[in-house]
Amino acid sequence: MAKYDLVVVGTGPGGYVCAIRAAQLGLTVAAVEDDRAGGVCLNWGCIPTKALLRNAEVVHLFEKAETFGIAVQGMKVDYAAAVQRSRGVADRMAKGVEFLFRKNKITLVPGTGTLKSKNVVEVRGTDGLTTLEAGRAVILATGSEPRSLPGVAIDEKTVISSNGAVRNEARPKSIVVIGAGAVGVEFADVYRSYGVEVTLLEALPRIVPIEDEEVSTQLTRSLSRRGITIKTGVKVSAVKPMGASVVIETDGGRFEAEQVLMAVGRGARTKGIGLETIGVTLERGFVKVSPTMETSVKGVYAIGDMAGAPLLAHKAMAEGVVAAEAVAGKNPRPIDYGNVPSCTYCRPQVASIGLTEAKAKEGGREVAVGKFPFTASGKAVAMAETEGFVKVVADKKTGEILGAHIIGAEATEMIHEFAVGRTLEATVDEIMHTIHAHPTLSEAALEATMAALGHAIHI
Amino acid sequence: MAVTKVVMPKLSEQMEAGKVIKWLKKEGDRVQSGDILAEVETDKADVEMEAFGSGVLRKILVSAGDKAPVGALIGVIAEEGDDINAVVAQAGGGAPSAAASSAGAKPAMADRPAAVPPQPKSEDHAERTPSPSKGPESPGIRRAQETVAQQPAVTEMAPRPQAPAAADGGRVKASPLARKIAAQSGVDLKLVHGSGPGGRIVRRDVEAAAAAPAAAAPAAAAAPSAAAPSPALRPVTPTVTGPEYEDVALSTMRAAIAKRMPLSKAPVPHFYVTSEVAMDRAWELREELNGLEGQPKISVNDLVIRTCALTLLHHPGVNASFQGESIRVFHRVHMGIAVALEEGLITPVLRDAHAKTLAQIAVEARDLAERARQRKLRTQELSGATFSISNLGMFDVRDFSAIINPPEGAILAVGSVRKVPVVTDEGLGVGRRMAMTISCDHRVMDGAMGARFLQDVKRLLEEPLRLLV
Repeated sequence: MAKYDLVVVGTGPGGYVCAIRAAQLGLTVAAVEDDRAGGVCLNWGCIPTKALLRNAEVVHLFEKAETFGIAVQGMKVDYAAAVQRSRGVADRMAKGVEFLFRKNKITLVPGTGTLKSKNVVEVRGTDGLTTLEAGRAVILATGSEPRSLPGVAIDEKTVISSNGAVRNEARPKSIVVIGAGAVGVEFADVYRSYGVEVTLLEALPRIVPIEDEEVSTQLTRSLSRRGITIKTGVKVSAVKPMGASVVIETDGGRFEAEQVLMAVGRGARTKGIGLETIGVTLERGFVKVSPTMETSVKGVYAIGDMAGAPLLAHKAMAEGVVAAEAVAGKNPRPIDYGNVPSCTYCRPQVASIGLTEAKAKEGGREVAVGKFPFTASGKAVAMAETEGFVKVVADKKTGEILGAHIIGAEATEMIHEFAVGRTLEATVDEIMHTIHAHPTLSEAALEATMAALGHAIHI
Repeated sequence: MAVTKVVMPKLSEQMEAGKVIKWLKKEGDRVQSGDILAEVETDKADVEMEAFGSGVLRKILVSAGDKAPVGALIGVIAEEGDDINAVVAQAGGGAPSAAASSAGAKPAMADRPAAVPPQPKSEDHAERTPSPSKGPESPGIRRAQETVAQQPAVTEMAPRPQAPAAADGGRVKASPLARKIAAQSGVDLKLVHGSGPGGRIVRRDVEAAAAAPAAAAPAAAAAPSAAAPSPALRPVTPTVTGPEYEDVALSTMRAAIAKRMPLSKAPVPHFYVTSEVAMDRAWELREELNGLEGQPKISVNDLVIRTCALTLLHHPGVNASFQGESIRVFHRVHMGIAVALEEGLITPVLRDAHAKTLAQIAVEARDLAERARQRKLRTQELSGATFSISNLGMFDVRDFSAIINPPEGAILAVGSVRKVPVVTDEGLGVGRRMAMTISCDHRVMDGAMGARFLQDVKRLLEEPLRLLV
């Protein structure tokens, strides 16, 4: 039986970051992985989809080349090549994680890990069983997997999940995307850019429903303009594969397409890893954890998607650091779950942090709202990327930055100004007194802040 | 252009006047909003005063070393050409500050009615004090600040207390949001404990301080003679030449004590009951506890705190406060513990003392005393006591009596544990004895109540194992 200070089960963004941080702190670490290192994020989620979305963006730029006085003739787009490029990107990133493991002397143990007791993990690999003993702690980081609707089986051919969408080199002629959260909207964008007929269905009254309402409205407009059919407030009652096509029955009509993408959310992977054996407590399908990520069983930690919302890679990474430091006897600062940025990489991009205007008002705050459209930004106009806006929600009395909502080009890069500000408890005054370089898209953040104060300059 | 009045800021609930220690800008200096104008001494701390307006410091009305009541004009910031005569003249009549000497009590401090326990807000006071919620120091939203700045009239701007020199000489570290909330809710950041990275004061700290129960008792007013230790006696040499005496200016804390003690002694009819406790068993118990590994050291005072807290639960009439038309009987014991400082004394409050073990009391009492000396107590730790203890045991005092700290109803003065000859059944022996004197407010209780309480305190201390269960 091999013995390590720490055994990490799962090497997604939570697990691999945790393993590296623990190794930095001098612990010996074994990391168990049943797929490629890097987990869903690097191999099947965040990273490969960003590669596909970049392809979509390049296609879009070629299509509007005329705007820039560039004539393109005989343009051909190859979707299979896009998927292959995306696989190459994922492969390179997974290799990167493997390199980091070697550099930090972390032992990567291929196979499926199962807890035999609170400090023994049995790994079933291609060449038999390995048993790992954890001297200090076991970290569970097994992530999540796509969910479906009741009675709808995912075959990854006609009824696909993001797992199929990211692998399939053949694009359908038409697709119905069920669920207009980040995953649904991003794939809708990719497929539409490659000429697929896309219908986006959402049960809630608006797309990207967790975002600020104005963002949803703007995104609906942008996607509709690009030819995506959007139906909100519709409940799917049945998904029926019919040979070469699939029929979706809803309370808002019947839809037919070559494929259907189920993007209705993800569920924690908590089965088959021995949680029942050692009596780890679950709560609404997720593992219940303390602020230092310890489960109900002392010495067993859980991080990332399996430990609850939000199901985001960067939240998993942050939890990985907290867990590693807690195990190493440091006193990690607990995570501020109210300050996790949320990003959707469709075109235009969507990024947000903190409270929406509606939520802030629900909380009984008197709010000051400032909005600045990219149509008034010199840089955005020069780039011909004028869709969208920055919206700042502040507390009227104290100037606290309650929330920031950006839709537009590079929104996901711009949100961190507000993230840092909120971490430091800066107020709108501090943002306003920070000189922003001109011309940049980030000036819109400054202007939106000034708008909240009642005196934006450029609008 | 706006003329900015610089007024003596109200830096704590109890503060009525402050002394300008020194000006960091002189008349004619150009100042920017945010510059540190002067250092001000209050009854609690030395604080740096920040300018809120920009312009030229045209006039200094209170010079270094002098005092001014809260809200009094102490300086004027304006542009070169602005006419400030009206502002200065207006202040000239009412503010004694310009002529203030450093000799002691000012009229503004002396004219308080002596009848009631000092409540920080009397009418004149409220009027003069720049209200943080309406003042320009508060608005987080610039729009509000602009409105103020656009007013043609003179803007009254209290310099906001900021980054006061902490006891360790460092500045107060606080987030911008924490500063704004503090300014708006009247929380003195100097007294707030920072829980953020590196002790930085963040929003939750200020919100907690603001939510703390309103000051019930002035903190600086506490047990009387329990003040500073007297310095070693110097032999009087007849050959001394020079002046026969000198007048030492009152520190602000001394002034507060001087002013408040009569406010207790005069309206509160004190009576005193003294008893002596055999401390032999308590002494042994303490030695035994302190011999245990990993236990906090227990002091005699910790034993007294625990004893009084438990006994008060059975004597609610002593754990009570005179409220004019009624007597307020407390069901919880918040114990005021007088702590002597170099320049006076302060009475931090150990909350819910009745519900705490000896070890908890020992740790908390030590922490409170320590932070009292560093002047790092939080506002809420300085108010709300239901009973107080003043212990001069370390000064080899046999017994003494203390002045009640209103609105509390009683205070216990504790002397040294002394070895004395005692008469036992076998003859003469050596025993350890400690005298305690309780001062009671006769409006709340009578002699017998105080005596019965004291008797139970004595019993409990003489059967100290009960303190452990």
